[in-house]
Amino acid sequence: MSQNAAPKGPFELALQRLLRNRVAVAGAVVLVLIALCCVLLPSVLHLDPNRTQPALRNLAPSARYWFGTDSLGRDLFARVMVGGQTSLLVGLASTAVSVLVGVSYGAVSGFYGGKVDEAMMRLVDFLYGLPYMFLVILIMLLFSETARGEMLPVFLALGLVQWLTMARIVRGQVLTLRRQEFVLAAELLGASDARILLRHVLPNVVGVIVVYATLMVPSVIILESFLSFLGLGVALSWGQLVSDGVAVVNPVRAYWWLLLWPSAFLGATLLSLNFIGDGLRDALDPKART
Amino acid sequence: MRRTLISALLVVVAALLVVGLTLSKATGKRADLRVMNGTEPQTLDPDLATGDPEHRILEDVFEGLARLDSASLEPVPGVAESWDISADGKTYVFHLRPTARWSDGRPVTAHDFTYAWRRLQDPTLGGEYAYIMHMVRWAEARNTYGAQAEALRGRVVKALDELVAQHPSVVPGAALREFAKKLNLQATLKGTPNPALRSFLLRPDGDIETDELRGLRPELLAEAARRQTAHDAADEHFGVDEGVFAKDDHTLVVELNAATPYFLELTAFYPFYPVPRWAVERASRNWFMPGNFVGNGAFTLESWRVGDRIVLERNPQYWGKNEVKLKRVDLLPIENMTTALNLYLTGDVDWIPHGYYPRELGPDLKRRADFYGNPALIAYYYRINTTRKPFGDKRVRKALNLAIDREQITRDVLLMGEQPAYTVVPPGLRGYTSGKSEISLNVAEARKLLAEAGFPEGRGFPKFGILYNTMEMHKKLAEVVADQLRRNLNIDAVAYNQEWQSYQQSTTNMDYDVSRYGWVGDYEDPNTFLDVWLTNGGNNRTGWGSLVYDRLIESANNVELFLDSPEFLLQHTHEPQKLRELMQGVRAAREPAARLEAMSKLRLALLAEAETILVADDFPIIPLYFYVISGLVKPYVRGFHTEIIGSDGSKRPNLRDLHPLRDLSVEGAP
Amino acid sequence: MSEAITLVLGLALLAATAWTPPRHTRLLGSLLFGLVVAVLLRFVLGPLGGVLGGVLAVGVAHRLLPALVLRRVLFLVPALVLLVFSTTLLMYRAPGNPFANERATSAQVETALRAQYGVPKNANQFFRIYMRRLLVEGTLGPSIKVQGRRVEELIGPAFPVSMALGLLALTLSVGFGLSLGVLAGLKRNSAADYSSMAVALVGISLPSFVIGAAEMIVFSLWLGWLPVAGWGSYRHLVMPAIALALPSSAVIARLARSGTIEIMQQDFVRTARAKGLPESWVIGRHALRGAIIPVVSYLGPAAAAIMTGSFVVEVLFAIPGMGQWFVKGAINRDYSVVLGTAIVYFGLVILFNLLVDLAYAWLDPRLRQERA
Repeated sequence: MSQNAAPKGPFELALQRLLRNRVAVAGAVVLVLIALCCVLLPSVLHLDPNRTQPALRNLAPSARYWFGTDSLGRDLFARVMVGGQTSLLVGLASTAVSVLVGVSYGAVSGFYGGKVDEAMMRLVDFLYGLPYMFLVILIMLLFSETARGEMLPVFLALGLVQWLTMARIVRGQVLTLRRQEFVLAAELLGASDARILLRHVLPNVVGVIVVYATLMVPSVIILESFLSFLGLGVALSWGQLVSDGVAVVNPVRAYWWLLLWPSAFLGATLLSLNFIGDGLRDALDPKART
Repeated sequence: MRRTLISALLVVVAALLVVGLTLSKATGKRADLRVMNGTEPQTLDPDLATGDPEHRILEDVFEGLARLDSASLEPVPGVAESWDISADGKTYVFHLRPTARWSDGRPVTAHDFTYAWRRLQDPTLGGEYAYIMHMVRWAEARNTYGAQAEALRGRVVKALDELVAQHPSVVPGAALREFAKKLNLQATLKGTPNPALRSFLLRPDGDIETDELRGLRPELLAEAARRQTAHDAADEHFGVDEGVFAKDDHTLVVELNAATPYFLELTAFYPFYPVPRWAVERASRNWFMPGNFVGNGAFTLESWRVGDRIVLERNPQYWGKNEVKLKRVDLLPIENMTTALNLYLTGDVDWIPHGYYPRELGPDLKRRADFYGNPALIAYYYRINTTRKPFGDKRVRKALNLAIDREQITRDVLLMGEQPAYTVVPPGLRGYTSGKSEISLNVAEARKLLAEAGFPEGRGFPKFGILYNTMEMHKKLAEVVADQLRRNLNIDAVAYNQEWQSYQQSTTNMDYDVSRYGWVGDYEDPNTFLDVWLTNGGNNRTGWGSLVYDRLIESANNVELFLDSPEFLLQHTHEPQKLRELMQGVRAAREPAARLEAMSKLRLALLAEAETILVADDFPIIPLYFYVISGLVKPYVRGFHTEIIGSDGSKRPNLRDLHPLRDLSVEGAP
Repeated sequence: MSEAITLVLGLALLAATAWTPPRHTRLLGSLLFGLVVAVLLRFVLGPLGGVLGGVLAVGVAHRLLPALVLRRVLFLVPALVLLVFSTTLLMYRAPGNPFANERATSAQVETALRAQYGVPKNANQFFRIYMRRLLVEGTLGPSIKVQGRRVEELIGPAFPVSMALGLLALTLSVGFGLSLGVLAGLKRNSAADYSSMAVALVGISLPSFVIGAAEMIVFSLWLGWLPVAGWGSYRHLVMPAIALALPSSAVIARLARSGTIEIMQQDFVRTARAKGLPESWVIGRHALRGAIIPVVSYLGPAAAAIMTGSFVVEVLFAIPGMGQWFVKGAINRDYSVVLGTAIVYFGLVILFNLLVDLAYAWLDPRLRQERA
């Protein structure tokens, strides 16, 4: 009953389908490019996002300052790149936290089903109702003295809020898989719960997890930008730059580059992630096969 | 299926309609003037309010004994139509206007003032501004002596006993310091006449014989008893027949502890306003809400929708209603600066005071004709936590002060014409010349000092934090300062933020290295900037304290105290000769008026000496700059004075952005 | 430490409600339903009306309410108590307190204020005071930072504002998302598909405050069609509702698209088409059903997302709604405001999930059994 019996594994097939999806591939290319730029360029070009040169403030994009400078004369290109590191890192790390917690919780809940499931889901329902804004502020505060502008609290805070959704999704999938013949068969053959869960159930949920994780990254990045907008952001991020940029595009005087570049990078990243997520969903969902 | 969809949509739309209909209780007719008012006011109770948005409303819906004339910002008759001041400057007799009425038609009497002032000094009310009235006789005793007596009898004596028991022969200086700090002794024993306690407070740092300390126990108990008696007397007399009292319905007598030159100006400040007793007693929790509200100002509170607007309407009962031009004023609480500016640009708001617009656009807005800006009575400092290493070292603190380029900050970062601060008190206060300052940009000297303190080239200097409360401008400044310190001293500072309540807690608990701090002057006198730094003062939060400093402030607020025993201060000040001359001036003065004048000069000299300690000796803070107040006001708003012309013809800026609505008008609005 | 134990016990107890046997569920659920009704009515009708209404509600619930609803109620009440308790703990653990102020509050003043507002220094004591207020006195307690008002007096006017905005945004996002999604799904991989998905994706590629700010500039400052910000007429609703709706509508469009694609490949649709039934009938009967079921299941999260977004949008557009209290309450450490908004938010989430469950069961009979 192994799922890998077919000559071509489902994942290879899925990959093939994914590669045929031009939009998703384009998204992946853009995303990789942006990530590479953000990670590599600051160190390669020795970009310093915090160097203030007040005399060179608010310069429009030029050959020297590709993206222009902000009101303290800081190089916007450097800031967008370093901000990208933060945003991508926040997105990925928080998603990792939520996947880790959410998948294990959801899998156990769905696997045992019945009252156990109901009890576990009640806890999730409860946590859903907690005022998460306060939760996030609190977690960030608890770390504020020691962390001083570092991002761990943000990962934790956002991750701890997001895992609930992941848990629900995984639980739903596992609940259905649990009643499939191959799982029941494995159970009859005397496999242990852990083995069934890890060997038979989870591999079939990976697709869903990957899809939702891809879609969770953008929502985390957006949440982080909300925090920045409300003045609760911690580090230099795209969200921070965008919310600063919103303040200076105005009929009085439009420092348009301060909004345009961070928004463009943020937008392109979120779009790419969404395209990839959609592509993955189509590719991994056998029913959608054309 | 389709029916399902449609019915679901219909349900939602119907719900929307119902909700919407309940809401479209239109906000009514357009107001004559619409003012951006920053954050939502916390309260409109004049005895409890503290902030700037509250101030802007309170000065319009209440009126004090005097009010500030909008052209000269000098006290002119308000509820009181005239006043007499005694020759020694300590007794004021106010003659109340018989035509002054509350908005419910009752006459405003002297009893409304005695009630309000007594109420403000009630320790259980929790009025944060109570201290501002402490120059009135008995006020401080009523407000704080009760709790102090209790602390002295209880906690302090208990801690003293423990200290004595722990150290049988000699109490080490460190334990003593801890004892004094934990029990807030400087504040608890503030102004004690007991010679033993005074000399204990004044003694230099160091170990002390246990017996000597033991000897203080009866003195502390005596002081507790003295304060208790004074508190009980104050309770009985303050607001009744001493301190402040009503001679008759329309005569109010105020007795001060010492001549206070700015007292008259203070009577126009909201903690000194009258309060309608019957309204408070009818609805103590929310007497200041629309419906319950009773005021005596030019306007009255029409409605208050939280998060939307406060509507003021002209008060038909106001004695000077014919002088009030505006019929209706809306005050909007808008927290987002971009939104605030957009509302102004579309003409939905007529006046943005106090810089409620995005900072980054300041330089561009400055070019507009409807922009105004002028120096302000607001100072921006960094506090240094002197209890942490290496900031306990004066040389380090001075080095930090010398390594910051304030000119660059004001010229290239702030951009609105702010003044670099090398002193603690902003310029522009009449008659006052700031103390001598040693602060300037002097990187070489700063490096030398740092090397002397054991950090040559900044080596070994620990990485430290610059704490600011979350706000874009503070962040920028902290980043620039950190950058300057890194470049000039090769020391590593990290700017980090906390939002307001945590920032307050961290600074109160001394849980920081360097922290941002802004202080808005409450009245036009240097004292408002200097009494902040009294030892253990509530806003000092640097751990720094100086007996000389405390004595100077105390003496300035009661010059006779200094005249009685000047020796201690003359020994410890920079320019004793000048003080001696001024003292002689006071003694030589024959006429009461001349004496008062001479005392006022001496007083300012004492304050300047105190300031010198901060900026030339001890450097517990880093003054950075003095604010500029700026805003946008539509040209059709009249009676708006950004330059103030005093009654003596002198000109000065409108330091506090005060524009009483009473005197504003609108002509030719679209 | 004891607080942590209490918290764990509370969570265990909450989970244990899952094991309540059906008969007890009916009885207990009805009783708790009565309690909820009594506390709610108390705000409107006073103590007597509250008690009468509560008793009446117990009877009605016992007779008429479906088990699905009663199970939720049985969960709701202990969850609310636990919510208040855990939020209280969180608030007290957070640095800062509501009385820390610029003009440093003296110990004496702070004591006076703490007594006045019923905010002792100890979390357990506060919890007890709060629960007594809620159940015995029928109030959500006084706000500390907006003096003179009780929390219900703050939430009361703010709640309908947020509801109006949220409902409009939800309607917009469902309407917009469904039509785009079905269109894209029917013409899969065509230009129409890509363009409608691209339109939808704008909504998730930018934070709502950027969309809102752009709307402000275009529609208010340039064109002058709509008021910049504020509240008062329908015209004030348009821009914030759109800013709020776009992100969810993008998700809905994608769900609707894949739902449509899936159902259009089903055999019965092919049969219907082969039988020569008109295309509009096929679309109306099947495509919409395929699209709507996944969308309904997303309505719960969508509502939550809109509530979250409203924090930001309400600040940007200066709307006197609930969102501001969430943020301000937390930032000011205005404890009663935080708890009040948390309770309302929690109640809404539960209510909405219940409605979605009911709708789901009604739309898809297969699931009715599976869920039961």
